[in-house]
Amino acid sequence: MSELLWTYVGIPLLKILVILLALVLLAAYLSWFERKLLAYMQIRLGPNRVGPRGWLQPIADALKLFVKEDLTPGFGEKFVFLLGPVLIIVPALLVFSVIPFGPSPNLFITDVNIGVLFVLAVSSIGVYGIILGGWASNNKFSLMGGLRSAAQLISYEVPMGFSVVTVLVMAESLSLVRIVEAQREAGVWFIFPGFVAFFIYFVCGIAETNRNPFDLPEAESELVAGYHTEYSGMKFAFYFLAEYANMVVVSSMATVMFLGGWLRPFPNVAALNFLDVVPPLGWFLLKVAFFLFVYIWFRGTFPRYRFDQLMGLGWKVLLPVSLVNLLVVAYFVALPRGQV
Amino acid sequence: MADLQATLLGGEEMEVSFGPQHPATHGVLRLQLKVDGERIVNAKPIIGYLHRGTEKLFERETYPQCIPHTDRMDYTAAATNNQGFVGAVEKLMGITIPPRAAYIRMILAELQRLSSHIIWLATHALDIGAVTPFFYTFQEREKILDLFEEYCGARLTLNTMRIGGVPWDLPEGWTERCRRFVEELPKKIEDWERLLTNNRIWKARTVGVGVIDAEKAIAWGLTGPPLRGSGVQWDIRKVFPYDHYDEVEFDIPIGKNGDTYDRYLVRMEEMRQSVRIIRQCLDKLPDGPVMAWVPKVIRPPKGEVYFSVEGPKGELGYYIVSDGGVTPYRVRVRPPCFVNLQALPEMVKGHLVADVVAVIGTLDIVLGEIDR
Amino acid sequence: MSLWGFLASVIPLDLLTGLKTTGKHLFARKATVQYPEQRLEPADRFRGMFGYSLERCNVCRACEKACPIGIIHIESHWEEYEVEGKKRKRQVIDRYDIDVKRCMFCNLCAEACPTEAVWLTTKTYEAAAYERNHALYFDKEKLMRWDGVKPFPGVKTPAEGGLPYFSLGGEKEEEQ
Repeated sequence: MSELLWTYVGIPLLKILVILLALVLLAAYLSWFERKLLAYMQIRLGPNRVGPRGWLQPIADALKLFVKEDLTPGFGEKFVFLLGPVLIIVPALLVFSVIPFGPSPNLFITDVNIGVLFVLAVSSIGVYGIILGGWASNNKFSLMGGLRSAAQLISYEVPMGFSVVTVLVMAESLSLVRIVEAQREAGVWFIFPGFVAFFIYFVCGIAETNRNPFDLPEAESELVAGYHTEYSGMKFAFYFLAEYANMVVVSSMATVMFLGGWLRPFPNVAALNFLDVVPPLGWFLLKVAFFLFVYIWFRGTFPRYRFDQLMGLGWKVLLPVSLVNLLVVAYFVALPRGQV
Repeated sequence: MADLQATLLGGEEMEVSFGPQHPATHGVLRLQLKVDGERIVNAKPIIGYLHRGTEKLFERETYPQCIPHTDRMDYTAAATNNQGFVGAVEKLMGITIPPRAAYIRMILAELQRLSSHIIWLATHALDIGAVTPFFYTFQEREKILDLFEEYCGARLTLNTMRIGGVPWDLPEGWTERCRRFVEELPKKIEDWERLLTNNRIWKARTVGVGVIDAEKAIAWGLTGPPLRGSGVQWDIRKVFPYDHYDEVEFDIPIGKNGDTYDRYLVRMEEMRQSVRIIRQCLDKLPDGPVMAWVPKVIRPPKGEVYFSVEGPKGELGYYIVSDGGVTPYRVRVRPPCFVNLQALPEMVKGHLVADVVAVIGTLDIVLGEIDR
Repeated sequence: MSLWGFLASVIPLDLLTGLKTTGKHLFARKATVQYPEQRLEPADRFRGMFGYSLERCNVCRACEKACPIGIIHIESHWEEYEVEGKKRKRQVIDRYDIDVKRCMFCNLCAEACPTEAVWLTTKTYEAAAYERNHALYFDKEKLMRWDGVKPFPGVKTPAEGGLPYFSLGGEKEEEQ
């Protein structure tokens, strides 16, 4: 009985706790990483006062946010205002329950056989947090930010979905673990046959996470701070954390679907066996780190699109291209099997 | 089109108060925006949040005492402000300044133009979302400010010109340092352009935004880069040369379409032309005194005068009425930003909220000068 | 659309050059000056805090008149004294106050001074104070002692015989 309890309650809870803690810490340190990297690109030094080389900066930030006064706008909708941060942080963290960090079952919480659908479904809930938070703030700028974000997320969800379907066609499974295994069996990462899908997925991913050059909802120069203008203290911290967590989600999904998850490059070429010194988890984290670096690199380089241009890009370019790409990939997958 | 959309969608107009505390209004400009969704129906600039009564202040200050107050109007271009005021008084009194002083003034004014354009580029890019050019450009601005500091001791509010010339000669080694700076700058400008000029996002945000054609630009009284961006070749340095601008060679860059992108290109080219002017000035820099003889107490004859210089933002004019006393009877400043700002509602109508910040940036307004 | 136009729109060369530029700067030397530890030395002509020399002041009040905002306040009285049996009169300064918090560092007072008794080239820029009405109101003793405002290392205070770094016309002051 106690063994059962341990297997079905204890271990999962432990795993959840570890991943949750690691994730929150990662998201916090991602902000440090971003500030530091951005600073280096901008020929300055970035945070370097709190702790050695600024290592304790995220902790100091968190402490500051904890002790800050928690303001609620006077004429705002109080309950919805409270609901906003909850609705955005929960899905962002929930997604990690299905992301496989490595091959061993200890390295993921669960392997759902509809993993991809789960990720897409749960991460779309986050938009409620943004739109409700923006609306409940009773601030015109927040409202505009929230509306922009809603429109943006909905329109980019579609091409993103189609590019994910491309992967599903190649892997013939919805389970994230199976997708990685399929890449091992194919001997090649899906980025090579599906580079168009990968490109679309990543562009949509940036748009989904509201990052530069698609960071319109929080466009500082237009909308002050967008949907979280009125938020302060820990509520703001949740929005902040969710943004970084979402970045990690998109990067992890891109890693799993296109860069072979925990696999080393060319997993079937024996000559490259020496690469196995890096454990699977290491490979996974390396790839995620690469994506995060690209995220920040983009932020350091590009101006921001305008709202209508962003929608135009989503509907007029990415959607048709992803559809055509899906057809082409499906054709070539079906061709060798004589199914065409 | 916007009207049609409004009727079809049954949209309700919303009024948004854009500023005065807003990151993109370059100070304390307040815009009363009427928006239909994100589309601007009407924009009404409300100014006066930075009014300090500078023009009134001039009436109780002696002529030399007015000069530091001019610094504070367009605080990003103090040297050209000084140049305009002392030029007006000199014109009224009939003083000819020594050639060395004139050349020093030109060098300072062009450095100031560079510095002002750098601020414009940095904030304009920042408004459109590109953060990094801000830091690259301010690096170079810092060097200009260092040059100013070596010359006159101040970095921002320079107070660097006096009636009758300039107060100091150039310090030792200044010309070499200045030359080194202007030799390096074009490379840096290329670097900035690599981040923006051909960038498709930058183009998408600026091409066709805030269009104003030549006819309208003249009708609104625009000057400076906003006018030249519309294709009108008008530059006070060329048409009414002051100091010794007729002795140096430079081109007036003009745009074609009168949109934000053209104004961007015009200003970038102007920076190169400024470098060219400084180079020639350094080559030609004559020897001699830097100060003409002027009476200890400056008492211009009774009369009135209008004198304008080409500031970084446009035509900066001073209209001085003298009653023969030690203080001006009345001073009226023709600020380029104030006049340029008038065209803003015209330029943003029908565009989106995001374009408002692009247009504010492209007009390169400084509220210190608008409100005075 | 031409083939080139299509290719240019598909291959984001424009974006890549931007990425290259920022990537290049990632490894460039950083420009930050870590302020309290590293300090930039101001230029010789830098207009910082006031220097004032009581010995050289001949109470002509030129600075008071030159100041655009009237922050210099001078009070003096006439004193009789005897030189070689002859009676002479001279002006003795009672108060020489500068309300530094309102100063805009325009240098007009220093230019007006015929004896260079007041100058701004003291290379001091750390004039911030927690309280402005007293800490930044300087009378003549405070001006000469630089109480509360530290001069740049190596700069002599007026009491130690420090002199302005340059005078009108750009000639450097001779070292004493």
